[in-house]
Formats: sequence, C-alpha cells, structure tokens
Amino acid sequence: MSPVTPVSGITTQSIVQAPFQATAMPAGGTASFASLLAQGLHAVQAKVEHADALVKAFALDDNIPVHQVTYALEEAKLSVELAMQVRTRLLEGYRELMNMQL
Amino acid sequence: MKAQAISRSALDVEWQRLQVIADNLANANTTRTAEGGVFRPMRLVSGPTTNFASALRAGTAQLSGVQVYGVEPIAGNVRRVYDPADPHADASGFVTYPEIDRAGEMTLMIQTSRAYEGDLVALNLADQMYSKALELGGQS
Repeated sequence: MSPVTPVSGITTQSIVQAPFQATAMPAGGTASFASLLAQGLHAVQAKVEHADALVKAFALDDNIPVHQVTYALEEAKLSVELAMQVRTRLLEGYRELMNMQL
Repeated sequence: MKAQAISRSALDVEWQRLQVIADNLANANTTRTAEGGVFRPMRLVSGPTTNFASALRAGTAQLSGVQVYGVEPIAGNVRRVYDPADPHADASGFVTYPEIDRAGEMTLMIQTSRAYEGDLVALNLADQMYSKALELGGQS
C-alpha cells in the first residue's frame, strides 16, 4: 500500500491571500480614482440594462427560466446599492474635509 | 459576487434537469419517436466547471460552479404490448413502449426540487451577506 501523499497545494497563506490578490490594483496603480469611479458606474449601468433586457424578454416569451430574471434584478439592485454606498462615503469624506478648521 | 454566480449556475442546471425528467414522464406512452425508434428515457449529466485537482491547487478563488455536460439516454428495457389495432404495431402485432421507472423519476424530481431550493437558500444568504457588508461603517 502506497502512503497517502498530503495535499500540498493548500496552505493557510494561499487561502487568506487569494481574495486580496484577486482584487489588487492593476500593475503600477496607474488608474486614477476618477476613472475607477467611472468604471464602476459603467458596470452598474451594464447590470441594470441587462436586468431590463431580461425582464423585457421574459414578458415577451417565458422560455427564460424565472430565476435568471430575478437573479439579474437582484444583482442590479445590489450593485446600485454598492454605488450608493460609495457615493455616501465619498460625500462624507468631502464634507469632513470642507468642515476642517484651519 | 462569486458565491452568487456559483449558485446561479446550479439553478440553471437543476432547471434543465427538471425539464429532462418532465420530458421522460411526458413520453411514457410514446410508441415511436420522430426518428422511428423507441423512445429512450434520458438523464442530464452535470459536473463541476473546473476540475477538482486544479481547483485544489489554485485555492478557493478557482471554484466556478456546475455545468451541464450533456443529456444521455439511460439503459433500460422496453415494454411490448400486444395490440394489433395500434397504428404503430409491428408485423407480429406488438407495440413497443419505453419502460420508464416512474417511481425513480419521481424520486429524482423531488431531489432536483430540493437541490434547487438549497441553491436558492445559498443564493439568498450570499445576497444578504453582501447587503450586510455594504452597511459596514455606514451611519447605522
């Protein structure tokens, strides 16, 4: 009987670091904050439009599974919420700076 | 949104599995298919999108849900009924029906339905976690 070889691939480090690596900035961090914001807004817009298209398609022809429609709606809702939260934080930061006593 | 995407792929797969089971039950009394042969009950074959070994090696970031591999006919007998008046009867007067295991199909249908419910629960929970995380640091 051959001995059981341990699984070598998974280490605590790889699990902990994986998500951070995935969301790391592009090399050099050249993207400006404004373009990052614009990118995010475009992504939100795309999701809302996708959900809209699916609802239209479902109204015309219910061949599409319902869960795809509801999931697209939920995804769009969550990304809009995320955008709103980003806006709130941004505004908070701005107000904080404006009210600074010099 | 990875957890949601994984659950969504599972919802798609279970939905299609239900369609295949419904098709089997609907064709229980089919005596001849469009191609001329006897109807064979089908099974949906599904599996992970990434293979398990590479997912293990790469860590959790590589998991990407489930996909449909295909629809395959299952082995089984046919049921021959003597009925010379039937237009699909053969030369010796027998009509051939597929032998569909109705109890088995029903069990699989319940399994499919429960799996679908489970995926929905996972999806809702992932959405709730995401929403909760959005509240982090907000002014209550």
